[in-house]
Amino acid sequence: MTTTQTQERPGLRAGNTPGSLEKAKARRDRRTYTALLIPAILGLLVSFVLPLAYMIRMSFNHGEADGVIIEGFTLDSYIQPLSDPFYWKVTLDTFQMGVVVGVVCVALSYPITLFLARTTSKYKSALLAIAIAPLLTSAVVRTYGWMVILGSNGLVNSSLEALGLISAPLKLTNNMLGVQIGLVEISMPYAILAMISGFGRLNPQLEEAAGSLGASKFQIFTKVTLPLTLPGVLTGFLMVFVLSISTFITPTLLGGGSVQVLATEIYDQTTGLLNWPFAAALSVILLVLFGAVVAVYQRLTKKLGG
Amino acid sequence: MNQSKLSIVDLTKRYAPGLDPAVDKLSMEVEEGHLVALLGPSGCGKTTTLRMVAGLMDPTAGSIIVDGRDITQTPVNKRGMGMVFQSYALFPHMDVAQNVAFGLQMRRVPPAEQSRRVAAALDMVKLGHLAKRKVRELSGGQQQRIALARALVVEPTLLLLDEPLSNLDAKLRETMRSEIRSIQQRTRATTLFVTHDQDEALDMADRIAVMNGGLIEQYDSPSVIYERPNTRFVADFIGQANFLTASVVADNGPTASGGATAGGASERNYTVDVDGLGRYGATGHPGFVGSTRELVVRPHRLRVSLEARGGEAGIAGTIVGVSYTGDTVGFSVRVGERTLQAQFMTSSAAVPRPGDSAYLSWNPSDAYLLPGNPEVAAA
Repeated sequence: MTTTQTQERPGLRAGNTPGSLEKAKARRDRRTYTALLIPAILGLLVSFVLPLAYMIRMSFNHGEADGVIIEGFTLDSYIQPLSDPFYWKVTLDTFQMGVVVGVVCVALSYPITLFLARTTSKYKSALLAIAIAPLLTSAVVRTYGWMVILGSNGLVNSSLEALGLISAPLKLTNNMLGVQIGLVEISMPYAILAMISGFGRLNPQLEEAAGSLGASKFQIFTKVTLPLTLPGVLTGFLMVFVLSISTFITPTLLGGGSVQVLATEIYDQTTGLLNWPFAAALSVILLVLFGAVVAVYQRLTKKLGG
Repeated sequence: MNQSKLSIVDLTKRYAPGLDPAVDKLSMEVEEGHLVALLGPSGCGKTTTLRMVAGLMDPTAGSIIVDGRDITQTPVNKRGMGMVFQSYALFPHMDVAQNVAFGLQMRRVPPAEQSRRVAAALDMVKLGHLAKRKVRELSGGQQQRIALARALVVEPTLLLLDEPLSNLDAKLRETMRSEIRSIQQRTRATTLFVTHDQDEALDMADRIAVMNGGLIEQYDSPSVIYERPNTRFVADFIGQANFLTASVVADNGPTASGGATAGGASERNYTVDVDGLGRYGATGHPGFVGSTRELVVRPHRLRVSLEARGGEAGIAGTIVGVSYTGDTVGFSVRVGERTLQAQFMTSSAAVPRPGDSAYLSWNPSDAYLLPGNPEVAAA
C-alpha cells in the first residue's frame, strides 16, 4: 500500500521536497528573462551609459582654447559657469523657457487631446494620425517655416499691417518669444501623444454621473474631467519641458544668435570653441535640471495616483 | 424622502432621420413610491428611455412629467434625480465619503449636514466603516452599494437604476436584489429600473413594463405579466411557454375566480378546439367565440399522465426527452408536428423514459388565449 502511494505521487520522493519543482521552474524562467534582456542592456550600455560616463569624466578635465584638453581631475569647468552670472542667467532662461513652452503647449494641446480621447467617430485613428502628422517633417523644416511666418515681412506682420493694427512690424523672430512660439507648435504632437496615454481613467459615465448629481458643465470639468486627466497633463508637460530645454535647433534658428540657452551654449562650446570639458560640465548641469524636474514629477504623480 | 409621480407621454427617440425609432411614442405612469422595471432584450429601447428620463439624452418628441411639472427641457443637473450606472461610475480620484458627498456639495449643503447625511447614507448600505477607502479598493458589490448611497443621499425625486446588478456574480446579485428592494421600500423612492433579467424584474418590481422594439408590450404587475401575458412576446420573454393554436368554439360563462381583464370585463371560460387534437378548456377576454387565437400554457401547468384515464384522455403524445435537475424534472413531449415542454417537481415515483406514451391536459384557468396578438389563420 505504501509503495503504491509513493508511485502515485512522485513529487514526494526523496530529493523532491514540496515546492522544489516550482523553484526549479522559477530559476529556469529567470534565466530566460535575463537572456532576453541582454541585447537591450548591451545596446544601452554602448549607446547611453558609456557615452554618459565619458561625458562626466570629460567634465573634470581641464580645457583650453583651440581644443587642448589636459587630462586630470579638476572642477575648473564647473567653477567657471557657476561663478559667472552669464551662465546663471542662461540656466534660468533655459528653465523658464521650458516651463513657458510646457505650460502653453499643454494648454493648447489639452482640448485637442480631450476631443481625440472622447470621440467615438470612426475617423478617430485618422484624426489622431493627423494630429501627430507634423512629426513627419523635421524640426528644422518647421522652424524655417516659423521664421517665414513670424519674420518682419512674414504672414503675421504683413496681415496685421494690412489690417492697420500695427504701423511697424512686431519683433517675433530673433528673440525668446519667437523661439517659444516655434517650440510650442513643434512640441504639440509629443504633448498630444503623451497626454492621450494618460487619459485612460476618463470615462463618459463619470461625467454623466457628476451631471446627474447636480454638477454644471463647468463643475464637471473642474471636479471630474480635469482631476482625472491631471496625470496625463503632467506627463505631457514633462515631455515638452524635456524636449524644449534640450533642443538647440529652434533656439539657434529662431533665436538668430541672440537667444542663449544651455543647449546652444553646449553646441557652441563643442563645435565652435572646442572646449569639450566645459561643454561636458554644462551638459551635466542640464542633466541635473532634468533630474530635478523628473523628481518633482514623480512625487506629484505618486500623490495623484495614491 | 420625496415621493414623486412620473409620467411619460408619447416619448420618442429617433437616432437618425429615416431610422426606426429606438423608443416609439412610449407612454407610462409610475406611481409614487413604486419600483418599476423596464424589462426587455437588448436594443428594445429600455436604456434609451431611462437616459431620456435622466436628462442624459434629448428626446425627439414627447414629454417627461414629474409631479405635474414638465421637465423635458430641464438639463440633467437640474433634475434632482439619483442615477446608478451599470459601471457604477464612482469617481476614482475621490474616496468613498467624497463620492457620496458629491451631490450634496453640488447642492451647497452646509459641511456639517453633509457629513451627517453621508454617514447616514453609508450606514443605510452598511458600509459606514469604508468611508475613507479608495474606490479601487472596493469589491463590485461594495461599489454598487456606494453608488446606491451616492444616488440616494441627495433625496432624489426619482431613483434611476441602469442594469445595476449585471456586473455582479450570480450569488451577490441575489443578495443585492433584496437589499436594493428593501432600501427602496424604506426610502419609498420612486424608482425606474432597467434590466434584461426577467427574474430580477419579477422579484423586485411593483410593476413591469415589458419592452420590445421601442414599444411597451405590456405594463402590469409581475403576477399579471406572468399569468396573463398580453402577447406572444411577453409570454415567451417571461418564463417558459408552450404555444398552441386554438379555435374558440363556445363561451361557458365567466370564470369562477372572476379575474378581471384590463378593460374591466371579467374573464370567460371557453371551449377551444386545439389544432384538431380535441376540445379543451381555456380562459380569455370576452368576445372570442368564433376566432382563432394563440393559446399559452406554462410547462409546469401542463398535466402529464402516462395512461389515458377515464373520460379525460388529454392530448396523446410521446416523451422524447427527459431532463432531471433534482428539484424538477422536465419532459419534452412530441405531439404530432410540435414538441411541448412540461415540468414537475420530482417525487419518489419512477421517472418516465423517452419513448413512453404520455397524455397532456390542463386546467382551463391555466390555458390563456393571448388577447394582444391578432387572430391567427385557422390551421
